[in-house]
Amino acid sequence: MVRVESPPTDREVPVVRVVLLPVVLILGATAAGSALVAPAARIPVAVCGAITALLVAVLTVALHRRRHAMRVQRAEYEQRIAYLDHRILSHDAETVRLTKEVMPAAIKRLSVGNSPEEVMRDIVDADVANRHLPKALREQIRQVLEVIDNEEARRDSAQRAFVSVARRVQAIVHRQASELREMEDHYGRSPEVFDDLLRIDHGTALIGRLADSIAVLGGARPSRQWPKPVPLYSVLRGAMSRILEYQRVDLHSIAKVAIVGTSVEPLIHACAELLDNATRYSPPQTRVHVTAVEVQTGIAIEIEDGGVSLSEEARARAENMLAQAQAGINMNDLGESPRLGMAVVGRLSRMYQLQVSLRQSAYGGVRAVLIVPRDMITTGPAPGIAHGIGATSRPTSSLDMSQLQHVVPPPGKRKPKPATGPVPSVAAPVPTGAAAAAPRPAVPAAAMEDDVPVVTEWTENGLPQRRSRGRAPLGSHNLPQQPPPAPVHANGTQPGRDQGAGDQGGGEKPPGLWLEAFTKAVNGVPQERKHGEDSDDAWDKGDLK
Amino acid sequence: MSGARRERRKADPDLHDPERLYVITGDLDTGGRDALDLVTMVVAQAQPSPTFQPEQAAILRLCQSPLSVAEISAYLGLPFSVVTSLLSDLLATELIESRAPIVRATLPDRSLLEAVMHGLQKL
Repeated sequence: MVRVESPPTDREVPVVRVVLLPVVLILGATAAGSALVAPAARIPVAVCGAITALLVAVLTVALHRRRHAMRVQRAEYEQRIAYLDHRILSHDAETVRLTKEVMPAAIKRLSVGNSPEEVMRDIVDADVANRHLPKALREQIRQVLEVIDNEEARRDSAQRAFVSVARRVQAIVHRQASELREMEDHYGRSPEVFDDLLRIDHGTALIGRLADSIAVLGGARPSRQWPKPVPLYSVLRGAMSRILEYQRVDLHSIAKVAIVGTSVEPLIHACAELLDNATRYSPPQTRVHVTAVEVQTGIAIEIEDGGVSLSEEARARAENMLAQAQAGINMNDLGESPRLGMAVVGRLSRMYQLQVSLRQSAYGGVRAVLIVPRDMITTGPAPGIAHGIGATSRPTSSLDMSQLQHVVPPPGKRKPKPATGPVPSVAAPVPTGAAAAAPRPAVPAAAMEDDVPVVTEWTENGLPQRRSRGRAPLGSHNLPQQPPPAPVHANGTQPGRDQGAGDQGGGEKPPGLWLEAFTKAVNGVPQERKHGEDSDDAWDKGDLK
Repeated sequence: MSGARRERRKADPDLHDPERLYVITGDLDTGGRDALDLVTMVVAQAQPSPTFQPEQAAILRLCQSPLSVAEISAYLGLPFSVVTSLLSDLLATELIESRAPIVRATLPDRSLLEAVMHGLQKL
């Protein structure tokens, strides 16, 4: 205890001073005592006093030393405690920094695609502040990173599996859809087959949307690419064609813009999901109204349904789901009975900067507003069926319709007629028949003989002139010089289905020749017709009254 | 026939519009088709208004002068059944009128044929 770090010299002086006072007092008392007592006792008293003084001096010195040592020790302890406190604080700070800065940075780096080793090297070793982390902490960081990496890899592979399955389904659906479209073109003239094809087509489109949803949730972008801009109207109808109850959707006042090709598919999908939500969560007899208007930031597509009103809580939940999806959801968060719609919409809106909001509708239901950003919109001419069909290639024909008989009498004038049997004259309406009894009956047999070589024109010498077959447009073969003498109508069969229906009119004329004329018409022959115009002119001159 | 179909598919795999035909046709169950034929002539009775479906507006535009159903189908690039379905809707609202084409003599004049035959034989 004496080996305290070299007590300063001024410390020695107080020791002497502290010792001096009691010793002097005792010595004084001893001197006084020895002076007062008898001379015989003077010696013992003096001896006792000296001994006492010595003892007190020694004790005082010892006491003082101990006190000094204690003080030094206490100071030392305090210093050590302070040091330890500091250590703890800095350790805490280090931990906090680790949690708040180092780990997020490391995880971020990991999520970019670096391996745990690379992250350790970049974040821990390369940083001066982190270089001296204790080994245990380093180990801890490494382990956490590896766990995350493994988990991430597992999730990635699961998602990739999802996406690849979805892609395959999409490919099949896509092929199926184009085949179906072909078949629809092919069987377009037999309504029963056609309607069935449409039903299959619809089912296929529903499957396709599901596959698209899975792909989107798996983190993939929509696979289908549209090479050219597509009108918004077509986009919305494309969305309609992917939901179950498309009949309930009404399109009102759709802005006349086109969507650039790369954004078409995601927009179709997002709209389809919103429309699906709207039709699914509203009573089956209500309509869903869709409008699309231009706003400052782009196009606002509003989808309103007349369903149950969205309570504030439900709305918050739905918006929350959207927000979650926008933040990037996990497949695991979807739950057992996944309501994929909102998750998909959220995903898509995050990928393509669409804005989605759900509000209370004026109809009482939900109004979903989808804002399409302006850079997805192009106002250039878009190809497609929705706009400008026939604007350039309108045929000019000048048939006098009043000469022709009604095929479908105007409402009010319709009267059921027997579906079969000859009809005596031209002026009489063609037998229309009840649609249920005989779908598409009443085809004049002459309709099928358009291309049979017949005499239709006459030279000045009165000789018959045969006209080249198939050049003239349908319906322009008739000349006023040759009034139809009471034609015999077909027996109510449809040319597409029963090719032999021409037996009454043409005998052994080859059936199906009308198809050639049809093909020619399809190929745009009406533009370059020569005989047709002739005949039209003749018609005009001869019979126009 | 099948060969021609394959040919055409290769030509335009992606040119189809996103909308499927059943959306254009409308409700499959309720929308009946009127007795329209490929050669039925159709003429519009009204001008297209913006509220119409684009295909119907196009039909009204096309049919300002009489046009056959086959031609409408060709111009619109839509199958016949779709066109008849659209036309049936328009007919129900009296926006178009449909007439059968003027029929020729279903049987050629027999004497004429004989005259031609004799003429040919004399050659």
